[in-house]
Amino acid sequence: MSKELILENITKEFGQIVAVQDINLEVKAGEFVCFLGPSGCGKTTTLRMIAGFEKPTKGLINFDGEIINDVTPQNRNFGIVFQSYALFPHMSVFENIGFGLKMRKVSKDQIAERVDDLLNLVGLADQKYKYPQALSGGQQQRVALVRSLATYPQILLLDEPLSALDAQIRLNLRAEIKRFQLELGITMIYVTHDQEEALAISDRVIVMNKGFIEQIDKPVEIYQKPKTQFVAGFVGKSIFFEGELSGNTVVNENTELNLVVSQDTLRALQTTSRSVTLAIRPEKILIFKDSQYSQDKYERTNLKKGVIESITFLGVIVRIVVKLADKHIMVDITERRFAQSLLKMGDAVSLYFPPEYFLVFQSSKEV
Amino acid sequence: MEDNQKIQIKPIKTVVPDQAITYTILFLFGIFFIMFLVLPLISILQTSFFNEGQLTFQNYIAYFSKERIRRSLYHSLYIGTMTTVITTVAAFLVAYAITRTSVRGKTFYKAVSSLPLMAPSVVQALALISLFGRNGIITNMVGGQWNIYGPVGIIIAESFYCFPYALIILITTLSAVDARLNEAAESLGAGAFTVFWKITIPSARYGIFSAAALCFNLNVTDFGIPIVIGGDYNVLATEIYTQVEGMQRFDLGATISIILLIPAMLAFMLNNYFTKKNYSLISGQARPFLRLSTKSQKAIFSTVASVISGFIIIVFVIIIWTSIVDVWGGKSGESKQVFKWLTDFSIRHYDFEHRGASISVVWTSFWISVVVAFIASWLTLIAGFIVEKRKPKGAEPLYLLAVIPAAIPGLVLGLGYILAFVNMDWLYNGAAIIIINTIMHNFTLGMLSTMTTMKNIDSSIDEASTSLGANLTKSFWHIIFPLSKVSFWNNILFYFERSMVTISAVIFLVSPQINLASITVIELIDDGNFESACAMSTVIVAIVVTVHVIFLSIFKKKGIKIM
Repeated sequence: MSKELILENITKEFGQIVAVQDINLEVKAGEFVCFLGPSGCGKTTTLRMIAGFEKPTKGLINFDGEIINDVTPQNRNFGIVFQSYALFPHMSVFENIGFGLKMRKVSKDQIAERVDDLLNLVGLADQKYKYPQALSGGQQQRVALVRSLATYPQILLLDEPLSALDAQIRLNLRAEIKRFQLELGITMIYVTHDQEEALAISDRVIVMNKGFIEQIDKPVEIYQKPKTQFVAGFVGKSIFFEGELSGNTVVNENTELNLVVSQDTLRALQTTSRSVTLAIRPEKILIFKDSQYSQDKYERTNLKKGVIESITFLGVIVRIVVKLADKHIMVDITERRFAQSLLKMGDAVSLYFPPEYFLVFQSSKEV
Repeated sequence: MEDNQKIQIKPIKTVVPDQAITYTILFLFGIFFIMFLVLPLISILQTSFFNEGQLTFQNYIAYFSKERIRRSLYHSLYIGTMTTVITTVAAFLVAYAITRTSVRGKTFYKAVSSLPLMAPSVVQALALISLFGRNGIITNMVGGQWNIYGPVGIIIAESFYCFPYALIILITTLSAVDARLNEAAESLGAGAFTVFWKITIPSARYGIFSAAALCFNLNVTDFGIPIVIGGDYNVLATEIYTQVEGMQRFDLGATISIILLIPAMLAFMLNNYFTKKNYSLISGQARPFLRLSTKSQKAIFSTVASVISGFIIIVFVIIIWTSIVDVWGGKSGESKQVFKWLTDFSIRHYDFEHRGASISVVWTSFWISVVVAFIASWLTLIAGFIVEKRKPKGAEPLYLLAVIPAAIPGLVLGLGYILAFVNMDWLYNGAAIIIINTIMHNFTLGMLSTMTTMKNIDSSIDEASTSLGANLTKSFWHIIFPLSKVSFWNNILFYFERSMVTISAVIFLVSPQINLASITVIELIDDGNFESACAMSTVIVAIVVTVHVIFLSIFKKKGIKIM
C-alpha cells in the first residue's frame, strides 16, 4: 500500500530566511524515519512541505513516481498527527474519526464500521460519543492518531505528537505508535526534538540543523559514529577538545592538554586542515583515584590529573565533573562502579581518555 | 491486527482549488473597500482641494477666514477634551468599584452602564432638555434662569454617551492588571494611597489612555448631541451638516470633514497604539484578585457607582415620561404646577403621522438593521477567516483597510458617499447605500472581534481538516463556522444595535422614500415636536432592548458567553 517518497534538492525560503536548504532524502515504503533537531532547524517545515501546507521554493517532492509539488493537501491523502491533537472540539470522538471519510462521501454504515474498528484498535470503544474535552491528553492523541489513519493514508506524518504529554503516557503511546507502524506496515515520518524518542522509535534518524541535514543513519550509527561535531553534541553528550593535529597527537598550546588519537580515528578525518576538534562521550572516560591504576597499561599522554568539582547522582549513572586545567570535564560512571570507587568531592583524580574512543572533526567556528 | 482496506475510498475531487477561492474572496473584499471606503474618501479630498480641476486651497482659506466657522474647530477640541477627562475619571471610578472592591450590585451597575449603547446618542441631549431646558422639570421647579443649550449641555450629554465605551475598556484593564503587584507593594510597606497612585494607576495607564483616546474620537465625531443641544455653539460635525444641508456648500463640507478627520484619526491611532500596549501589559500571569473592602471604601465606591447608574436610569425614565405627557412644561400658565402637568398623560405624541413623520420609519430601520446584521456578520466572519487562518499574500493590506472605518467619522463617510455615488442612481436612491454605509462604518469592530476568535482557534485544527480532505468551503462550514458561533451571534447583535441607533453615518443618505427612525428623531426636534422625538426614541430603545434581551436569554440557554 505504501510507496516511496523522494525529496530532491528541497529548499524553502520565507522571505530572507532560509528554513530548509537543499535537502535530499528517500523514504522507503513501510519505513519509520525521524527528523531530529533543535527548534528552528527546519524539521517541521520539511514535514509541512511533505504534507502540502508549504510549497518548496526549489526542488521536487516525488511520491510513488509522481511529482506532487502542486498536489493539494486534500489530494495527497497523507495522515497528519499534530502536537496539539487538533481534534475538532465541537464533534464527538466518532464524528472526529469519521470526518475524513465523510469528506470522501463514504456511506454512513461504512463510516460506522471503520470508526468502530479503529476505536477497538486503540481501546477507546467506550469513549465513542464523548467530546474531546472529556478525554485525557493521551486518549485525545490516540483519537487523533486513528482519525488520521481512517482514510487509509499513504504516509502518516507526525509532528511532535508526544511533546504535550506526561512522561509515562509519552512512553506508552510511543510504543503504541511503533506497534501500529509495524502491524499496519505504513510509512511514518516523525518529527521530534527529543533525541531519546528519535533513537528509540525510528528505523533511520535524520539529524537537521539550521536547515541542513547533518546526518542520515540508523540510530546506533548516529550515536556511535556521529559524522559532524553538531551531531556529536546534539545526540547524547560529548566533551570537545580543540587543537592542532601533529602526527597522531592533538596539541593545544593554550591549555597544554595534548591528547593522542588512534590511527582508526584519524583515518575517518576527511580534511587536510590541521585544526581539529576532538569529541569523546562522558561514559568512555575512565576515572581513577590518584594511585589506583598501573601506568603501563595506558597511553601516558592521555592520562590527566584533576580535582573533583561536583558529583551528581542521576540514578543508573553518576555524573562527576572534574576540573582539568581550565576545563570542566564531565565523566559518567555507573552507580555500581561509583559505589566501589569511594570517590568524593575535592578528591585528586586521574582521567584517562582512551585514544580509540575519540571522534575527530574538522574545527568549525560554530559552537 | 489486520488493517486491510475494506472500504472503497474515492479520491477527493478538487473542483476549485482553495488558493483560487482564497484569492477570489480577497479580491472581492479589495473591490468592496476600494469602492465603498477609498473612493468616498478620495471624493472628499478632491472636493476640498480641487475646483473645476484646479488645485486650490481656497476652501481652507475660506474656512479659516470666517470667524464663525473657524470657531467650530476650537469648540470641538474643547468639548472633546472636557468630555474625555470627565468620562475617563467617572468610568475609572466605576470600573474600579466593579473590579477591585467588594461592593454589592456589580451586575446591576454593569447592566445599567450598557444602556446608553442601546440608544441613539441624541437621547442624552433630549433628557437634559427635559430636565434643564426652558420647560424642564428642574428649571420649572427652581425657577432656573440658565441656558442648557451650549457647551455645558453638550459636555454633559457626551459624557453619558461615551461612558459605556470607556467603562468596558477600563473594566477589562483593571480586572487583568496583576493584583499580585499590589500585594507585593503592601508587603513592602506601602499604604493604600501609595499603592493606588504608584501601582494601580501606572499599571492601568495604557487602558486609561486607550479609553480616553476612544472617548475623544467618539465625541468629536458625534453629531446627534451637538445638533440638538448645541444651540449657537457650533462644532465641526454640526458645521459640516450646516454647510451641506443648509447651504449646499459641498466643498466647504468636505473641507471641514478633512479638518475633523485629523483629530479623529489621531485619537483613533492613539487608541489602537495604547490598546496594543495594554494587551502586552495585561496578558500573561495576571491573577484576578479581590479582597474585602473596608466600610469607608465600600461607602465611597457604592455611592459613586449608584449615583452614575442613577443618572443613566433617569435619562431613560425621563425620555419615556416626556413621550407620554400631554404637554411637557404644561399648557400656558401651568408651568409652575410641575406635578400637575407631569401626570397629565397622553399618547398623542406617538401619532407620528400628524407630525410630518411616519411610523413606517421604524419598520424601515428594523428591516435594514436585520439585513445589515446578517450581511456584516457574514462578511466579517469570512474576512476574518481568510485573513487570519489562510493568510494569503495581500491579507495584511486588507486587514489595514478593514481597520480604517473605525477612524472615519460617520458624517464624513456619509458625505463621501454623496459625493462619490450621487450620479449612480441605481445605488444612490434606495436602501442599498444606507445598508452598505452602515456595514462599512461599523466594519472594524466586528472584524476585530472575529479576528480574536480566529486567533483562538488553533491553526492545526484548520490544517487537520484540510489534511483529512476538506476543501476551503467545507472547512469553513464544518469547522470554522461552528467554532465561531459565539462571535458570529455577538456580531449579529452588535450590528443590529449599531444600525438601529446610528445617526451621523446615514443622515446624508436618507430620503423621503427611505427614512430611518433615528433620523426621524432629529427631524421631529427640528420641527419642534420635542415630545414626539422622545416618543420615537422610546420606540427605538424599546426595540433594541427587546432584541437584546431575547438574544441574551437565547445565549444563556445555549450556554454562550456574551462578549
